[in-house]
Amino acid sequence: MTFEPQGENRFIVPIGPQHPALKEPGHFEFVVDGEIVTGASVRLGYVHRGIEKGAEDRTWTQNLYLMERICGICSHIHATAFVQGVEKLAGVEAPPRARAIREIFAELERIHSHMLWLGVAAHEGGFDALFMYSWRDREVVMDMLEMLSGNRVHYSANLIGGVKYDIPLEMMDKIREGLNYLEERLLHYLDVVNNDETFIGRTRGIGTMTREQAQLLGAVGPTARASNFAYDVRVDAPYAAYAEFPVEMVVAKEGDLHARFVVRILETMESIRVLRRIFDNMPESELVTRVPRRIPAGETISRVEAPRGELFYFIASNGGEKPERVKVRTPSLCNWGTVITLAVGHKLADMPMILAGIDPCFSCNDRLVMVKRNRQDPQVWTWADLRNYGIEYYR
Amino acid sequence: MSFGSMIEDLIKSLFKKPVTRKYPFERHPAPERFRGTLHWDPEKCTGCQLCVKDCPANAIELIVIDKVNKRFVMRYHQDRCIYCSQCVVSCRFKCLELSDEEWEQAVTEKQPLEVFYGKDEDIRFLLERAAAQPAETPCE
Amino acid sequence: MNLTIHPLIVLLFFPGGLFLLASGLVFQWADRKLVARFQNRVGPRFLQPLADMLKLLAKEEIIPAGAHRGLFIALPIIALASALTAALYVPMFGVQPFFSFQGDLIVTIYLLSALTISLGLAGANSVDRFSLVGATRTLTQLFSYEAPFLLAMIGPALAAQSWQISKINAFAGETTWFIVAQPIGFLVALVGLMGKLELPPFDAPEAETEIVAGALTEYSGRGFALFRLAKDIELVIGLTLVAAFYLGGVSNPLEFLLKTGGLLLVMALLQTAFARLRIDQTVGLWWRVGALMGLVQILAILAGIYIRQWWL
Repeated sequence: MTFEPQGENRFIVPIGPQHPALKEPGHFEFVVDGEIVTGASVRLGYVHRGIEKGAEDRTWTQNLYLMERICGICSHIHATAFVQGVEKLAGVEAPPRARAIREIFAELERIHSHMLWLGVAAHEGGFDALFMYSWRDREVVMDMLEMLSGNRVHYSANLIGGVKYDIPLEMMDKIREGLNYLEERLLHYLDVVNNDETFIGRTRGIGTMTREQAQLLGAVGPTARASNFAYDVRVDAPYAAYAEFPVEMVVAKEGDLHARFVVRILETMESIRVLRRIFDNMPESELVTRVPRRIPAGETISRVEAPRGELFYFIASNGGEKPERVKVRTPSLCNWGTVITLAVGHKLADMPMILAGIDPCFSCNDRLVMVKRNRQDPQVWTWADLRNYGIEYYR
Repeated sequence: MSFGSMIEDLIKSLFKKPVTRKYPFERHPAPERFRGTLHWDPEKCTGCQLCVKDCPANAIELIVIDKVNKRFVMRYHQDRCIYCSQCVVSCRFKCLELSDEEWEQAVTEKQPLEVFYGKDEDIRFLLERAAAQPAETPCE
Repeated sequence: MNLTIHPLIVLLFFPGGLFLLASGLVFQWADRKLVARFQNRVGPRFLQPLADMLKLLAKEEIIPAGAHRGLFIALPIIALASALTAALYVPMFGVQPFFSFQGDLIVTIYLLSALTISLGLAGANSVDRFSLVGATRTLTQLFSYEAPFLLAMIGPALAAQSWQISKINAFAGETTWFIVAQPIGFLVALVGLMGKLELPPFDAPEAETEIVAGALTEYSGRGFALFRLAKDIELVIGLTLVAAFYLGGVSNPLEFLLKTGGLLLVMALLQTAFARLRIDQTVGLWWRVGALMGLVQILAILAGIYIRQWWL
């Protein structure tokens, strides 16, 4: 894009697809007048991998691992949503201990994701000390997850009908120690976020979103809860073991970037509290129930609360070994509209922090393909068609 | 209201050792449940091929030499494997396990990543047969 | 310390020239290592800055289409030249400067500003949005940090009644340390130095997460290496000036090492302790608060001088 001054100081600053502010590719264009942003637009689709199409070629068990790899940070919750949908279709319910273990992994994942986000958002604001320290403490969670499942990300803990790994008492004790350490550090970070003057200067009053705006734009997750829009799938439509071990919703009223920081740190501490409660009252049962290889025909939806917001799966089966259709709607997709609307009127220097404030996960996002080309039959494309299109496009 | 609320952390860190683990000079052992390279015990295998069907990455091939006498050779594509341990769970006779010691598997050619498991005579038989014919016939 | 060395050797080897370049790399290493240790990390090994320079010199230099070719190549050289020339009047490494003359304080500060201006020009020359925004920010920060820094440097100059750095250095060595006598001036000088050098938290001009690399986005290879070297030497010169003026003069290499090292430790701590300030915050803060503090300090010194004259 060549630089052509277009009267009235119209100046477009592109952020992405390659940019140090973004950890994954996405293209944002900010129309800037001096340092003030007067317009914004977003274009996604750089990490589209064709997972929904790929899911139709794999059996239900194989799909479990494909769905897990939609995102690295929220991998378990994707697998949980898929498995819940399939179990609903098959008419089975996972045993109580399995559901409790699913909740344990989900909350540990939430802790790790929020701490990752804390570091990344601090780095976007130039506060490298907070970045390094929160990631150092995040290693405690990663070690716990590795001890439980054997891997730091992609835990692969779910099976259709239950979970793979049990949690013996010694592991629970070790996890409790880790949680104590984390709680202490998180209180310190909460103090830093609330009191450090330079940090408050970067976050208070930035990107303020009112409750009406949040409802109109369809914001989900901590982004919405920071604007006093109280909606959390764990509380409103409990899944896994959330009916027996409920979570309290964390809501803030200010709706600015600072509130989002506070909401996420408080949510992490709430997760620690729930984990302790589950460890103290773990139900006893087997880990897996038997689920047939062919899932009966039907359609179902499955909703869970990923660390970023509400994650929504639609699964359709035609009675066979492979799904008919799997549709994934990830939370980050809902939150982009808020960034574009809120960006106007802020300074260019606030853009990375506003972008980071919704906790974007581009890999989760790219469920869409926007193909603008003439073709014969616009409705049905086979795998070969898609592949050919890709080859032609890049030639 | 404070300036530099992390200063205490920063100054304390000056007197502590850095938290970085200096890999490869310091190697910490992997936890027990770590999912490393796959290992197969041919003694207990009955050839049900559930592991082959369930593998998300088509990393396992079971080559049948003699079904009645239960002589199988497993061809494990380590470069396709995603170390998910679904095969370990699918196998009803506990023939498979993921090692927690072999996890530094980086190599510079593809050849070492095609692993054959089985009894020695079975593997020899297979290789002789492969040398005799131009192409072998693996099942699924 | 007074040494007699042939001027050509001074220019090329010690204490200018190669020795100065090497010391720039050493100070860059010390800065990065200290920042890393504050963040509980290991930090780079000793030869890392040298390795970086060598790697950069070996890389291909790409000149963007639309940029003025001559300016693009010349500006890094001008920046490095100003930095090297400014070092000739400053008591580097505790050795008395060889080319000092009356009024060289202004010349030194002017040359350091010329470095920043060439950085801004380099950004404006590259036809790239990030560089333009970075150049704007660099020049804005230049305006807001030069004046208070100069005021802070003038404080000891007034007390020593001279505009020559070596004389001020000698005077500072004999009287009580100016950090005690002019504390406000020291604070202004320290913050002003961090702003001039574009160190965090005043690194809005080269904010990595917002505008890639600011004015230097399009530079790679030789040009980038020269700019980096120029900035490192600016770091050494700035540290020496502040240490010479406020920490009781630099008269031999041991004092030089200890005082600049201590100052670097404090600066590294300040670098890591705060979030990055937005450009409007840095300018707003410093044009008002910093200039005001500098003026107050100057008035206090003038008052002190007149009172002493009146008493004696």
